[in-house]
Amino acid sequence: MIKEKLKTENENTWCPGCSNFFILEAVKRTLSKLIEQGEKQENFAMVTGIGCHAKIFDYLNISGIYGLHGRVIPTAMGIKIGNPDLKVIGFAGDGDTYAEGMAHFIHAFRYNSDMTLIVHDNQSFSLTTGQSTPTSRQGFKNKVTPEGELNHPFNPIKLSLGAGASFVARCNVKDIKHTSEILEKAIKHKGFSYIEIVQPCKIFNPMPNIEKLMYKIEDNTDKLKAEQLADEWDYNSEQGKIAIGVIYQTSKPTFQEKLS
Amino acid sequence: MKLNILIGGKAGQGIGKISSIVSNILAKYGYSTFNYRDYQSLIRGGHNFNILTISDRQISSNGSKLDGIIALDDKTPELHKEKLKENGFIVSPESFEDLGRNLNVALAGALIKILGIDKEILTEEIKEQLGEEAVIAAEKGYESQKVRFNLERQEKDIKIMSGSQAIALGAENSGLDFYFAYPMTPATEVLNELAKSKKVKVFQPESEISTINIALGTSFTGKKAMVGTSGGGFDLMTEALSFQGQSEIPLVIYLATRPGPGTGLPTYTMQADLNVALGAGHGEFPRIVISPGDIIESIEKTNEAFYLTQKFNTVAILLSDKHLAENEFSFDKKPNEILKIEERTDTPGKKIIKKSSYEHDEEGNTIELGEIAVKNAEKRLEKEKQIKKEAEKFEMFKIHGKKDSKNLILGFGSTKGVILDSIEDLDVKFLQIIYLEPFSNQVKKEIEKADKVISIELNSTAQLAKLIKKQTGIEIQNKILKYDGRPFTNDELKNKIEELI
Repeated sequence: MIKEKLKTENENTWCPGCSNFFILEAVKRTLSKLIEQGEKQENFAMVTGIGCHAKIFDYLNISGIYGLHGRVIPTAMGIKIGNPDLKVIGFAGDGDTYAEGMAHFIHAFRYNSDMTLIVHDNQSFSLTTGQSTPTSRQGFKNKVTPEGELNHPFNPIKLSLGAGASFVARCNVKDIKHTSEILEKAIKHKGFSYIEIVQPCKIFNPMPNIEKLMYKIEDNTDKLKAEQLADEWDYNSEQGKIAIGVIYQTSKPTFQEKLS
Repeated sequence: MKLNILIGGKAGQGIGKISSIVSNILAKYGYSTFNYRDYQSLIRGGHNFNILTISDRQISSNGSKLDGIIALDDKTPELHKEKLKENGFIVSPESFEDLGRNLNVALAGALIKILGIDKEILTEEIKEQLGEEAVIAAEKGYESQKVRFNLERQEKDIKIMSGSQAIALGAENSGLDFYFAYPMTPATEVLNELAKSKKVKVFQPESEISTINIALGTSFTGKKAMVGTSGGGFDLMTEALSFQGQSEIPLVIYLATRPGPGTGLPTYTMQADLNVALGAGHGEFPRIVISPGDIIESIEKTNEAFYLTQKFNTVAILLSDKHLAENEFSFDKKPNEILKIEERTDTPGKKIIKKSSYEHDEEGNTIELGEIAVKNAEKRLEKEKQIKKEAEKFEMFKIHGKKDSKNLILGFGSTKGVILDSIEDLDVKFLQIIYLEPFSNQVKKEIEKADKVISIELNSTAQLAKLIKKQTGIEIQNKILKYDGRPFTNDELKNKIEELI
């Protein structure tokens, strides 16, 4: 019943079979659970960037700002500064976060604002018809680089650990139940929680074999182990192991604690 | 009576302290001062100077001739003696070499004696500002000089403030909750000032882009948010300025300008960013651009900016410049009563509320239909009208000088002070435009009454005159423009006006 209240009447314009539907479902399950546990629906606030991921703004009945491309993190951080009682969730794309908004991404770990960032990482700019992002693999063919992407991708998990993250998780978009559990942990984490969702794009970057590389891990709090887990997959090759779960969690003062 | 005294030396020698000691004493003595700060973009060395202008009446500018030079180094008299009047004085640092860091205190003491003010007042001020130990240096300076000007005490209640302090006070008066800024001269002083406030929280994010998006997020929750920057930082904020136009989240932007393009002259002054304040941001949306001309207006107009932005969910740009922001002005008037600003209730936590950078319906859902785009555009146009109607309750312009004169001067912002000081004995009316957007219809009527109209601006392209042409259709024939990064001096400006009238 609570899940019904999280729905909106807006027409959904994701492509049929788009994996964003799975993320929407996982988010609804988590929020429903938190509302059942006593959180008020009015106390959630989201910020979205611009891209396919951002359409979630219209499909989720909670407060929020449909912001600018790349600016999810500062906008969401502002909401938390203005009203620390709100549970703030940022939805962003890989282009959003790792290209246009990279500076905000790195600083977010330093600030450790008490909020959650979900990156819908389909390793391509899909709403603008499939160009490369900083996580696209070398050789990724698209209209801009028909011979294949020239550059090697970032490993955003490794980057976040290097920047001092207090919560880093990676999810398999197809595992709604697991994603929903991770999201609950992320929202309950005190500090900046970052979830990277590995998400094929049916149209522009299907990644048919990616799931075979994935394996679930136990929640990890060991920094060295986290770095090893991050190194197991470089976002480039179709080999290696992709750890799914809480890659690292630690306790650090939040921005709100530091500011007050 | 007017005295122009130059205080010069290397950066780090404490030039500002001399101005501050002397002008505080003079304020208590009932005298008006204006302290012009000329400094370079460096922390140690180079050559910096202040010109402290002293008058028995309100003064807000300095003259080009000097009555005295207070030199903290040997270079200062060399560089400025050309401007020294025939009977002018120079106090040089030689006789105080044993004082080390307290050289500036001694020179302040010397100047106080030259002005003919009692030693007790100096001692009291030094104790208050610097403590007992500095008194010896101040007295040594005092004893080294002879009285040259016998200033008599006046009964006036005079205060001193920089434009930055006034903006900060106006924001605090308005109930500002959060001030966000990335350091940039000449806007930074407001950040520093509000950092001392007990009511306002400040935060310095990683860039101006982050700054303005954080501010919009904060304002979304119903809190009052403000950002501050100068031209280059404002350029970075432009993306989110346009986002404000669509999302209608209230915001106040403090834009303190300096000469560009590019890094330009970072520590000097210019009024060359009027166009960018009026035009920045893609798309068409309402905005308010207000340019205060002095300390009292900086306090009052900041308050109006908050009142209007909260009422209309819009953006206001408070346009100032280095001249008003960083110089110290004395004043003897009180600002208007603080406006009552209604709290916003349409905020998250209370209800589900959505704001969007996309074109959207009333609930914030994305809609890309043509008729909705038209409806929203017309709503924005209507809002512009409503803002103008409300702004008309405030002083959108002021008229100074001879009210029936056929010679009309037009100006905005920080040139107010020097224009007022220059036209004292002239047959001139001065129309000071404070609201550049919305723009008062009265301006056209005033211009039509005049025979000769002169626009006075600190830029090379007459941006105010062009705005007037756009708003009224009237071409301003006469312009007095200055664009070397330095403000007008009052005698220089008076001569230029006299040549035209």
